Amino acid sequence: MLEIAIIIGAVAIGSGIALVAGGLVGIGEGYAAGKALEAMARQPEMEGSIRTTMVLGQAISESGAIYALAVVLFLIFSIALPLLERFLELLG
Amino acid sequence: METKILFNILSFPVSEALFFTWIIMAFLCLVSFLLTRNLQRIPRGFQHVLEIAVEGIENLVLDNMGPQGKIFIPLILTIALYVFTANVTGVIPGAMSPTSDLNTTVALALLVFLVGHAAEIYLKGFKAWFRGFFEPHWILFPINVVGEISQVLSHSFRLYGNILGGGILVGIVYMLAPYALPVPLLAWFDVIMGAIQAAVFTLLATVYIQIRLN
Repeated sequence: MLEIAIIIGAVAIGSGIALVAGGLVGIGEGYAAGKALEAMARQPEMEGSIRTTMVLGQAISESGAIYALAVVLFLIFSIALPLLERFLELLG
Repeated sequence: METKILFNILSFPVSEALFFTWIIMAFLCLVSFLLTRNLQRIPRGFQHVLEIAVEGIENLVLDNMGPQGKIFIPLILTIALYVFTANVTGVIPGAMSPTSDLNTTVALALLVFLVGHAAEIYLKGFKAWFRGFFEPHWILFPINVVGEISQVLSHSFRLYGNILGGGILVGIVYMLAPYALPVPLLAWFDVIMGAIQAAVFTLLATVYIQIRLN
């Protein structure tokens, strides 16, 4: 009983910590967009290739956040939810 | 998270994602057939939309790969149309976007991966392709192999995570406030993010094939 409650609580805390990755990626991608905007203001004729490169770089650096999201989804849906159902059954 | 089986055809299980993939395939075939029945030299109406899509992908592929990329245009255009339609399908109530199932996105990423390697073997020969794994030094062989595998992983997980994450968020808002509030969220997560993620997936597919060729 207590063990199940501890596991569920640990999964919740771990999911919250893993989502820090999302915030850090947000900072990085905003920085990239700002730099791209500066480059576009300096050279408006290069707009197309700057935008393509920016989107590509942001998509690749987003992988970290996506991995964190996958880990969180796995933790919540494959570990916490079945345990939560068992917990509610035990409570009656 | 688990794949939902809708029905069986002669002991072949048909999952929800596969069912909606078939619907999207039929829809795309029908629309393409109806829109290309009588093409005119001076475009009118929906022919504009069609020409923008085809010319956009053509420019993207030819800018990245040069003239040798011409044979990849139909593949990239098919991936772009399918992924975009699949992402937007989530707007329809009761429908599920097939790209929020990991099987679909892994299949698409594996397709791009195999096409890239097959094109490299075809254009450069088997020996040059095999030697590519041992560059710049043979000691880096494991890192090169892991890099290739993680390319497929990140390519598929990016689309899957974005679409599934948006779907879960909209689902939570549905539970809290079922009226009016989910509509702008649906527009944002399914239509706008769907279009952006389709563009990113297409762009990355082009780049992953292109780095195999050069």
